[in-house]
Amino acid sequence: MTIYYVQLLTNGIIAGSIYAMFAVGLAMVYGVFKFINFSHGELITWGAYLTLMFSSPLFSLPLYFAVIPALVITVGIGLAQDFFVYRPLRQSNPIAILIASIGLSYLLRNVIRLCWGSDLQTFDLTLSRGLIFWGIYITKTQILMMLSALLFFGILYFLLTKTLLGKSLRAVSDNMELSSIMGINMKKVTCTIWVLASVFAGSGGILLALDTNLDPMMGMNNLIKAFAAVLLGGAGNIWGALIGGLFIGIAENISVAFISPDYKDFIAFGLIFILLLFKPRGIFGIAGGVR
Amino acid sequence: MDYIYHILIICLIYSIFAQSLNLELGFTGLYNFGHIAFFGIGAYASALLSLKGVSIPVAIMMAMTIAGISGGLFSIPALRLSGDYFGIATFVFAEMVHLIFLNERDLTGGPMGLPGIPRPDWIGSGITSLPLFLVFAFFAAFATFLLLRRITNSPYGRALKVIREDEFVAQALGKNTFIIKTKTIIVGSIFAGLAGALWAHYITYISPSDFTLQETILVLLCVVLGGKGTNFGPVIGAFAIIFFGEFIRFIPIPSGYIRFVAPFQGMVYGFILIVMMLKRPQGIISEARRSSPKNA
Repeated sequence: MTIYYVQLLTNGIIAGSIYAMFAVGLAMVYGVFKFINFSHGELITWGAYLTLMFSSPLFSLPLYFAVIPALVITVGIGLAQDFFVYRPLRQSNPIAILIASIGLSYLLRNVIRLCWGSDLQTFDLTLSRGLIFWGIYITKTQILMMLSALLFFGILYFLLTKTLLGKSLRAVSDNMELSSIMGINMKKVTCTIWVLASVFAGSGGILLALDTNLDPMMGMNNLIKAFAAVLLGGAGNIWGALIGGLFIGIAENISVAFISPDYKDFIAFGLIFILLLFKPRGIFGIAGGVR
Repeated sequence: MDYIYHILIICLIYSIFAQSLNLELGFTGLYNFGHIAFFGIGAYASALLSLKGVSIPVAIMMAMTIAGISGGLFSIPALRLSGDYFGIATFVFAEMVHLIFLNERDLTGGPMGLPGIPRPDWIGSGITSLPLFLVFAFFAAFATFLLLRRITNSPYGRALKVIREDEFVAQALGKNTFIIKTKTIIVGSIFAGLAGALWAHYITYISPSDFTLQETILVLLCVVLGGKGTNFGPVIGAFAIIFFGEFIRFIPIPSGYIRFVAPFQGMVYGFILIVMMLKRPQGIISEARRSSPKNA
């Protein structure tokens, strides 16, 4: 019986590592620009669909190479979002930028539906047998998911703590005005943030699509989990978002043992609610973020 | 002709819905991104009650009450939050309500929805009842308009605007902002419930897929396009958006391309939202601001 829970825990960690990848970008954007980017979810979807495009006929690149142009375009979309919509709105009132991000998310989602249709799609992967470690099933894709998450977070850690760019990034998220006075190149920092957010969201989307399937709503559905993770970790706190993502993934999957799977999504929603009520600054209680 | 009646009825129902959102979003500055939840609660409540044999006016009244109560219950925890966080809470609330509609099969019929919702007896059913339903919807929309105008032009309405501009000022002026905001959400939910109930009785079939993010965006668009914080704006917005949506169907499109219409419509909606925010955040009708004519 315990093996059942260990299996659920493993599934939770796998799901959680992907949620964490989504949440990190959201947290970074919130930390610096102080708005909730509803269109973040669409970067997830675009990453996955572009990989599908580059790996299917017309391009027929092998999957591992298809990822590269897909991520490049996803980053392009992320930067374009900032350039065309968020930068002009940076000085306007907060509700305008929030509504614009909802509009942008709707626009991008419908472009996907226009190009690829609304139906579920999958990568044509040959079915591979799950591996069994001490009685726990895990597929190769899932191992890939965990390894990539580890790799990405490792790189992020290195970037943020060991490089000058990372230092300026942290400074900007601490106090934007002060750091621009201190001569930090804001353009470079904002670009870096959008690139990082897009890469994390895009590759998370690709990995998720490899494990499950692609549908136009995948971004939105996972964005809610990412919201929960960000709130759990405290808005704008990158490492909090990482732990928050893992926590949501584990909580969701363990919950399957106790409640009907139909209500699996309720866990994330319920967590958001409870957290917002009792700990609106996240479990780590980092100040700031509330407007 | 029947088709025009149909469009007008939908416009009127959406204008009620948009006005109720405007009270919260436009006048009070509460970022409610889950208003569809109360629309859905109203629709399901009225549909279930009338299917159980309750007479329709009573069912609609009760649906409004239930929507109002759920709004009140929702607001007590949610209003401890402000700004963006309130937005997320509402957004999540709508998703939770949607999940309940979808999964409580014994009550709501699950994904299959509720068919055969009756229309009021004096209106009758079928196509011949459209003109009468139009009159009915018109009176409901008109009453909503008058009531909400009365509310927003009263001292209470001015208090709402102060809360929107600066909550601390409102508190300093001795207003209990929590109570005021709770009342606003209750009133907003009641009218959203009314719109939902009318929708249920008009369409006569509801399912969880009628109450999703898509409709939230549609009603948000109505408010933003028409002009938030004005009484007439959301009505104009609702008419413009619904007419646009229906107009697209008349563009001659080769039959092979029909499946592109809905995504295209969505793209246009999203695009309008962005452009409005960039170029004219106040909407078609801008709010009259006596004190600061330059920054209006």
